[in-house]
Amino acid sequence: MLSFWTTVRQSSKASALRRCLHSSSAVNATAAATEAGPSTTPQSWTPQSVRTGVIARKRGMTAMWDQHGAKFPVTVLQLDNCQVTANVKTVRKDNSEYHAVQVGASDRPDRTTTKAMRGHFSKAEVHSKYIVKEFPITADAHVPVGTTLSAIHFVPGQYVDVIAKSIGKGFQGGMKRWGFRGLRASHGVSVSHRKLGATGGHQDPGRVWPGKKMAGRMGGDRTTAQNLEVVRVDTALDLVFVKGCVPGVDDAHVMVRDAKKRMREIVRANFSKGNDPDRILPKGVDALPFPAGTKEMAETLPPIITAPSKRVTSPFAPASN
Amino acid sequence: MFRALCRRLSAVRKYSTTTAEYPFSKSVTASQPVLPPTDALRKGKGLMQHLSKTLVDPEKRHMVDVLFSRRHPERLPPGSVLTAYTGQAPFQFSGVLIAIRRRGPSTSFTLRNIVQRMGVEMQFFVNSPDLKRVEVIQRAGGGGGRQGRRMRRAKLFYLRDSPEKMTAISAGVRG
Repeated sequence: MLSFWTTVRQSSKASALRRCLHSSSAVNATAAATEAGPSTTPQSWTPQSVRTGVIARKRGMTAMWDQHGAKFPVTVLQLDNCQVTANVKTVRKDNSEYHAVQVGASDRPDRTTTKAMRGHFSKAEVHSKYIVKEFPITADAHVPVGTTLSAIHFVPGQYVDVIAKSIGKGFQGGMKRWGFRGLRASHGVSVSHRKLGATGGHQDPGRVWPGKKMAGRMGGDRTTAQNLEVVRVDTALDLVFVKGCVPGVDDAHVMVRDAKKRMREIVRANFSKGNDPDRILPKGVDALPFPAGTKEMAETLPPIITAPSKRVTSPFAPASN
Repeated sequence: MFRALCRRLSAVRKYSTTTAEYPFSKSVTASQPVLPPTDALRKGKGLMQHLSKTLVDPEKRHMVDVLFSRRHPERLPPGSVLTAYTGQAPFQFSGVLIAIRRRGPSTSFTLRNIVQRMGVEMQFFVNSPDLKRVEVIQRAGGGGGRQGRRMRRAKLFYLRDSPEKMTAISAGVRG
């Protein structure tokens, strides 16, 4: 699994690896021509690859201390029987391909599942799920249907994006929703302290622009927290500890995937610049489980894995002048 | 029940804690779970309570479970005089325990002292690797009698406005 990437790290810039996410060229000859699915030869992670994500549940927040003694907040995400339910491949009119892995999480009683979904889950030979979501991938990152994904999919030290529906705040005014400053509390201001104030010009344009920031329903929409560092992975309980906050209420379903900015764009840029292979992935991360970290892989590895802080110097040490 | 606990403990996988076993990173540390996982925990039931016990360092368990607990008979009541020893400056700080914030792994306490005629308060996090140990100089009174009555507040923030009460507590220390 790691052999291909390690040979690339040893060799110089490999231009034969240039492969776009939605390319129409048949560079990847190992992918099945007619149907989506994992190829028979074991694939290895490349800087152009995009892996699947997982669906987890936000369980709560707590605090941890790093090796320097600095405290940092962590959010605990738990994978709740996250399984692959389908591999998607769509060929568009311009012959470009869209590849995706469909993942389901949280077992659901069959009697509450619709017949249509029951058929879909029985085809994948998995239990009925509460939530089913798709993660766009490159053609080499398909995972066999029915695979149970594990917390080992993420490497402590890497960065992830966490996507969830944010907490609904209801109908809120401009000050809370848009950060407007309102009006004065005194000095003659009458009956208007938290209002919007002016909403536009005068006769020109003589109307309010569409999209004017006003009071309305706030929250309850899809939000992405980007570039959160994974600090600990616990495969005994399928926990992923990410540094920082994550949208959504406790026990909400969240989608967790490799960070688009710090794990895809920067990695691709580092690779195409021809950087030292040790400096392509984020500091401390040597490789990624590819195409996915599964329950079987987790049984062969240590149960709790913790990454140290990326800081070299202690924040408490006095600055040297 | 003891036998069932032993059976569960022996079922925990035994792994070497060398990082060579983990091929994706060299700088990580591997460790074992403190308590064996149960089906309820894998479903998320009682998970945060489980983590609030297991994320506390074993050396700090005594502080969280005894010294700064809510109902333990040997807990430190507010009004006690303690010395906290830290790894970073100031390497030791003594003062009156005026507040205890009980949050499991994030449990902390505040000590107040008068240093060079200036009131100074320091908050120490029990689970921090910087806090080495806590020494009790004087326990606050538990009941009546010679020890004196207990403080009638959980948080002694009124001491910020009463230097005479701080002096009374410090007089009791020397006496």
